[in-house]
Amino acid sequence: MIGLILRRLAQLPLILMVIYTVTLTLAWMIPGNPLENPDGRRPSPEVAEQMLKQYDLDSYPRFYITYLDRLTGLRALRDSFSGDSGARAASAAEAGIDLPDRLIFDFGPSLQYDDWTVNEIIAGSLPVSVTLGGVAMIIATLLGVTAGVIGAVRPNSIADLATLAIALVGISLPGFVIGTVLLLVFGVWIPIFPVAEWGSARSLVLPSLTLSLPFAAYIARLTRFGMIEAMQSDYVRTARAKGASETRVLLVHALPNAFLPVLSYLGPATAFAMTGSFVVEKVFNIPGMGQHFVAAVQNKDLFLIMGVVLVFAGMLVVFNLAVDVLYRFVDPRIG
Amino acid sequence: MISAGTLPVVLRLILVIAVLAGLIAIFGAGTSSPRADLTVYNGQDVTTLDPQRLSWTSDMRVARIVYEPLIQHDVLDWDANVIPAAAESWTVSDDGRTYTFRIRDNARWSNGKPVTSGHFLYAWRRGMLPDIASDYAAMFRFIDGADEFYAWRVEQLSAMDRGEKPFPDGDSFWQATLDRFDRTVGLKAPDERTLVVTLAEPVPFFLDLCAFAVFCPVYPPLVDRYEYPDPESGRILRRPGWTRPPAIISNGPFRVASWKFKRTMRLEQNPHYWNRESLNVRTIEIPSIGDPNAAVLAFRTGAIDLMADVFAPYRGEIVADLDRFRAEHAGEIQRLKSRGLDQYSIAAELPDDARKYVHVVPSFGTYFWNFNCSPRLADGRKNPFADPRVRRAFALVVDKKSITQQVRRMGEPVSGLLIPPGSIGGYKSPLGLPNIGDAETEQEKQAIVDRALGLLAEAGYPDPANDFPITVELVFNKDSGHDLIAQLIAKNWQQHLGVPVSLSQKELKVYREDLKQHSFITSRAGWFGDFADPTTFLDIMRTGDGNNDRNFSNPAYDAILDRARTTRDPQARLDLLTEAERMIVEDELPMIPIFTYVTLYMFDPDKVTGMSAHPRTKQNLFLIDVLGDGIGADQPRPMKPRNVRGPTS
Repeated sequence: MIGLILRRLAQLPLILMVIYTVTLTLAWMIPGNPLENPDGRRPSPEVAEQMLKQYDLDSYPRFYITYLDRLTGLRALRDSFSGDSGARAASAAEAGIDLPDRLIFDFGPSLQYDDWTVNEIIAGSLPVSVTLGGVAMIIATLLGVTAGVIGAVRPNSIADLATLAIALVGISLPGFVIGTVLLLVFGVWIPIFPVAEWGSARSLVLPSLTLSLPFAAYIARLTRFGMIEAMQSDYVRTARAKGASETRVLLVHALPNAFLPVLSYLGPATAFAMTGSFVVEKVFNIPGMGQHFVAAVQNKDLFLIMGVVLVFAGMLVVFNLAVDVLYRFVDPRIG
Repeated sequence: MISAGTLPVVLRLILVIAVLAGLIAIFGAGTSSPRADLTVYNGQDVTTLDPQRLSWTSDMRVARIVYEPLIQHDVLDWDANVIPAAAESWTVSDDGRTYTFRIRDNARWSNGKPVTSGHFLYAWRRGMLPDIASDYAAMFRFIDGADEFYAWRVEQLSAMDRGEKPFPDGDSFWQATLDRFDRTVGLKAPDERTLVVTLAEPVPFFLDLCAFAVFCPVYPPLVDRYEYPDPESGRILRRPGWTRPPAIISNGPFRVASWKFKRTMRLEQNPHYWNRESLNVRTIEIPSIGDPNAAVLAFRTGAIDLMADVFAPYRGEIVADLDRFRAEHAGEIQRLKSRGLDQYSIAAELPDDARKYVHVVPSFGTYFWNFNCSPRLADGRKNPFADPRVRRAFALVVDKKSITQQVRRMGEPVSGLLIPPGSIGGYKSPLGLPNIGDAETEQEKQAIVDRALGLLAEAGYPDPANDFPITVELVFNKDSGHDLIAQLIAKNWQQHLGVPVSLSQKELKVYREDLKQHSFITSRAGWFGDFADPTTFLDIMRTGDGNNDRNFSNPAYDAILDRARTTRDPQARLDLLTEAERMIVEDELPMIPIFTYVTLYMFDPDKVTGMSAHPRTKQNLFLIDVLGDGIGADQPRPMKPRNVRGPTS
């Protein structure tokens, strides 16, 4: 188990390096000047050049290396060995300047939001996305497993067809439709939940419900098929023969085995729910991270693109690892 | 196989999840603060509150409440005259080149320290540094020596980059820059309260510039902690942070109490502001709402008091509702209008109805369609649009009325001009070219088409359907309904002139880059003015101007602008500029003016007062009073009655 975790963690930097290179290359090729306001005055060529130089944006290889340097903390490490950082801090203190204190994982400034660094933007939006995505996955699991079990108890009954139909709707209807309908009904016509607000438990209900529905639908189907299979297995027959009650057969004997595919789905799904909530964030005006994936590319905000992509990639790897560990915990046969 | 003893793992898992969910729901989301006296939707998120780095209108709207320039526009006056702000008085020398400002002695920063002339000097110098890269650096170039200083710094920065070492290190380079500025630039602070500005030549609208948000001061001891010359190159390195709480120090009526990125910004009265008695709200909240529909919903549910912009895709319907409401009360509106009331006061007098919360105000901007005027196209082919007769012919047959009434549907006035009429006091607009949408009868319509075909024949294309050498491409950026406008224009050209057309939709950044490289044939465009002078529009048609996307060049036009520059008599100067605009909109047509932009506001006119209806559409939010809240004067603040000199739009 520990070997597995260590092996996976050792792979992490390698995976991130590949993602870093691919993302940076693609983002670099987006046409247009990231430092220009598309609605504003065009800066003079001299100014445009100075701006690009300030961020090393005038040369791809230089940017590739200096940015990586800052991100990995190599520069800070080198400076502290050579004594540069000490000298710089001393002269800065003398001149009354506050030097940036981030030594590692410095994603740099946002080009679109001049007053913020990418680290600040992610620090502000990641908890929001994690909360929203986490709550949505909890709702999805509860809804999905319940619906799946109900469906499996009597396959092809009315209850089964009804849950399947709801699952189908949950998968096929896009979030902006469900979200807008929920917002109109429970935000405007029957105003029990706030519109375009974030910060209270009440404001969490509609968006997390909207976000959870497609996941819930998929979980319901996974559970249902798993349960139907489990119900026909030998160990369930044995349990019934031993006189176990139907509830006990369902929840104690069948469900844990039927839950395994759900568990392996939960890892990547949670990562997606936490970062891929762009549509829901937009409809409910939630200051999460999903919006940056789209907006940063449109604005060619290079630093922000790199920041969100790397954080997302890191999360995806860690969540998959967590699922693998959980898997071994739930089913000792694997390992 | 899982044994019976460990079986409830799944149940336990679910239980743990449920408890976690409860905890997150209760504590995770936190609490929200009490509602502010005024909640404003600002159109989009503030990108920066660094005065010299401002670029977006929405940023400037907030910057003007947080910072105070030397002087301000009286936005509730139809003449939009300047009034004292941080400066209590000023004098202009007889030759019109030297302005001496006297800063009021009770002007204070939000930390209680006095605002001095040195702070303005410091801020304006920042604006003139190429490495601060102000979008509006060109505005400082009217100051004597600023142009040369700027060019010198650019040259030295490049020399440092090339490793030529004109200075041993960054610090000595920076010291030399400061020395040079003091020696050569016409900006002096002889004492703490006096700022003397010497211009390279008289600029009749210089006071108007001083009211521009980019000319606001910054607090040097604060900025110095975040900006410093790079030890090697000497280039100023900027670090974000000082424009936000808790660091930010500002001198305007309000200070930023909190700013949560993508959530909300909360402003409260600056306790040290010299004119605090004039303020009528204690707090202003500017929530961040990314989705334009959600913003309208939030307004409808009462969560927002004032929408400073409406971007909802169904705003055409919103305006149509307003038009129906106005039609129902046409007689009363006419009566109120004859009493000289502005549009908000009229709306306040009408019976209460959600439809009257919508206000359409003409903007200081024009929507137009560019022609590439280069002799050759980007691919090397000869460009038929280099000939003004061809451009005029194409302009004649564009049905502008259909564009505003069927596509935009926001009540935009059709325009044949570059400069929105009535927006600049004392300026007389030319007539502009007619277009096919003006024709009332089929004969009139045919006459315009014949005129256009005649122009094309003169230019060498007697049968444009067969002998027009290129397919006319219409380039536009996606979103905002430009595609529909492009389709309509393409149809006009195809139908009336018979030329082949093609549509080309691009990403905003790509579109922008194409325009810059003059790599298009015709394209969607628009321009908003920055200051109250015709040159804020006319300069973009100058040969070689950085914003001359059309690559238009006419020495006679440049000569008129140069002559106006040296003309001292204000009226003679404005007359020259009228002639320059006439050349553009009647003879040369480097672009087809289509309509004057409008801004949509939403607010209850019985509740929110102090909004400007002036066509320059500049709102000073610190003037706003929420009626009936018992705070401040609680009196309606209409536009001041027009006087005879006022614009006649």
